[in-house]
Amino acid sequence: MTRPVLSVENLSVDYEVGAGVFHAVSDITLEVPPGRVVGIVGETGCGKSTLAQAIPRLLPEPPARIRSGKVIFQGTDLVPVPRSKLPMVRGTGIGMIFQEPLNSLNPAFRIYDQIAEAVQMRHWREDGILPSFHPGPTPFDYSRRPLTMPQTADVLSRPVMPGTAKDVMAARRARKGSDIRNEVLDYLRLVRINDPETILSLYPHELSGGMRQRIMIAMALSGKPALLIADEPTSALDVTIQAQVLTLMKELIDEVSASILYISHDLGVVAETADDLGVMYAGRLVEFGPVAEIFETPRHPYTKSLLRSIPTRYKSDWPMPTIPGSVPNLSQLPPGCRFHPRCSLTHPVCTREPAPPLRVIETTAGSTTSHKAACHFAEEVPSLP
Amino acid sequence: MRANPLTFAGFILVMITLVLAGIVALAPSLIIPYGATQDTGAHEVAPTLLHWPPSCNVSHFPTSCAQLAHPFGTDQSNIDLMSAVLRALPLDLAIGIGIAGFALFAGGALGLIAGFWDQPGTVGGGLSAFILRTTDVFLAFPSLVLALAIVTSIGRGLWAAILAIMITWWPYYVRLVRGETLAVKHLPYVTAARAAGVRDTRILTRHILRNVLEPVIVYFTLDIGTVLVTFSTISFIGAGIPWPGPTPEWGSMMAFYQGNYPLEQYWWFITFPGIAIFMTALSFSLLGDGLRDVLDPRTRRALAQTSATLPQETPAIAMTPTTPAQEEAAEEAAGS
Repeated sequence: MTRPVLSVENLSVDYEVGAGVFHAVSDITLEVPPGRVVGIVGETGCGKSTLAQAIPRLLPEPPARIRSGKVIFQGTDLVPVPRSKLPMVRGTGIGMIFQEPLNSLNPAFRIYDQIAEAVQMRHWREDGILPSFHPGPTPFDYSRRPLTMPQTADVLSRPVMPGTAKDVMAARRARKGSDIRNEVLDYLRLVRINDPETILSLYPHELSGGMRQRIMIAMALSGKPALLIADEPTSALDVTIQAQVLTLMKELIDEVSASILYISHDLGVVAETADDLGVMYAGRLVEFGPVAEIFETPRHPYTKSLLRSIPTRYKSDWPMPTIPGSVPNLSQLPPGCRFHPRCSLTHPVCTREPAPPLRVIETTAGSTTSHKAACHFAEEVPSLP
Repeated sequence: MRANPLTFAGFILVMITLVLAGIVALAPSLIIPYGATQDTGAHEVAPTLLHWPPSCNVSHFPTSCAQLAHPFGTDQSNIDLMSAVLRALPLDLAIGIGIAGFALFAGGALGLIAGFWDQPGTVGGGLSAFILRTTDVFLAFPSLVLALAIVTSIGRGLWAAILAIMITWWPYYVRLVRGETLAVKHLPYVTAARAAGVRDTRILTRHILRNVLEPVIVYFTLDIGTVLVTFSTISFIGAGIPWPGPTPEWGSMMAFYQGNYPLEQYWWFITFPGIAIFMTALSFSLLGDGLRDVLDPRTRRALAQTSATLPQETPAIAMTPTTPAQEEAAEEAAGS
């Protein structure tokens, strides 16, 4: 079996603020296998974005604190890595697309400068001018070739020698300014921007939200990351632009055989893009499995209620089915299972004991991912009303 | 820049001031008729302005034509005031730009550090706490009073006054830049840069610096005038450069004349040095105000009126040629 690009093991992240300790992410375990798209869905405030930012360690620490767990990226645990070494993982190792395309581009720089900086950073790491995480060619590939993973497990603990002065000079000579420009243009074409030459000299405020999000995607891709984290890339856009960006994302996922962690609050979006799906509730992963299986036979009451509350044009139920109650305060979690106050299953065990860890419910033949749920009564969920 | 006439005026004034200062510094004899303390032989001549046309008697030239020869008048020691005011220009300008510039660089660098590495419990956090507490000490006193205290304790004179203002001036820049840095460093684009693998030092010197620059440059240009006025105030009180003396300086000229001669009678003694201070401060202020618009990409394009034709993702609705009002007008035109 191939090693996953990313495996998160029992990760817990707290926010320590004046009002108390917020357990934003509790005990999350998940894997992103090479070349697969893993979706994470959940309500607002369930810890999705915290999870997304905790993986490349982008959270401000403090107030955030990784209480326990591991984030193993290509065989290296990122949690104990000192902050000063993290830049070599970001960009070229883990790329990120953010929620707010309006504010995620620096207003003072032209589009060219922003993408060129990402390209430049990768060149510097490839040429040994800056220390790099990948010892060899990056596993990020445009031609669906089998992914090659670096074999050295612990790259970060080994000092990476930046090349000798002579090497550096040779590398600089080999790369010309026009190369970077051409590469930037390539990435702009990759994200389907019509007139890349004109766009280069514009400032972010002169572009629409959809265009800016394309630029963000181009920036993230230009680092050739082994793992791409998309944190609600379409949420801040209006519906038509959302559809365009979503189509682009789907095309890129096919074109660029990247491993992607796709975070969204929109089940429909995830259903279209992801291979595997994780459902989060109040900081926990309550269900994980192949998308089709989860949509067909959800194994957690929360997922089931969530799926039932999606309005469709054929359902004429009124009032629309909703989940009673609201997401619990992350600093004062209910005892027992976190979902029990809102659950349609009422059993004394749920209020008494915490929910079990994710356990395998069924494994479909031919599927690499097994269907897991964190519920005492997962087997009975399909028969619930 | 031409879109804003005041900015343009400020720009022209600053240019004139700089060129004039250059000429005075390099070749004063080109435009300045008299030496700084030269006895012109014309005693307390009032400026030409109010006696126009000058009553020149050709047979008694030049004594009767003193009003033409001394446009700003002369003082009690027969010094030509225009020469003195002009000779003071390079010095005063250098003082204003130099002190404000030192404060900009020193205070700005400290402010960036204090704003960016402010995490308590780290080395940077300790450093920034130290910077901020030191700043607080300076900010606790009015800078003019502090500068006066310093200048009188280290001895009077030009360099003492410059040093005193330098010491008291940078904390304002620390406070300004730190505030801007704190506001900018949590913006999503800084996180995005960090996510792209950019190191902290580069984020600070590239992404954050560029975005705090606008208010700081504006503050700097406005500040040049303030420094000039402060320096003049120190001279005015008598702690700066002595006047009459070999180096004319606007503040000390005003101080001397104001203290020794009644303003109603000898109004021109202090009016012209005062106007010089006012004009220099004003021209830099006007320029600074407009610089903000030029530095901000959002307003720069609007000012330059060269908005590039943006490639449209969707056909722009605004392209539809007629509004109801236009339609009505068209109908009316067709009917009549």
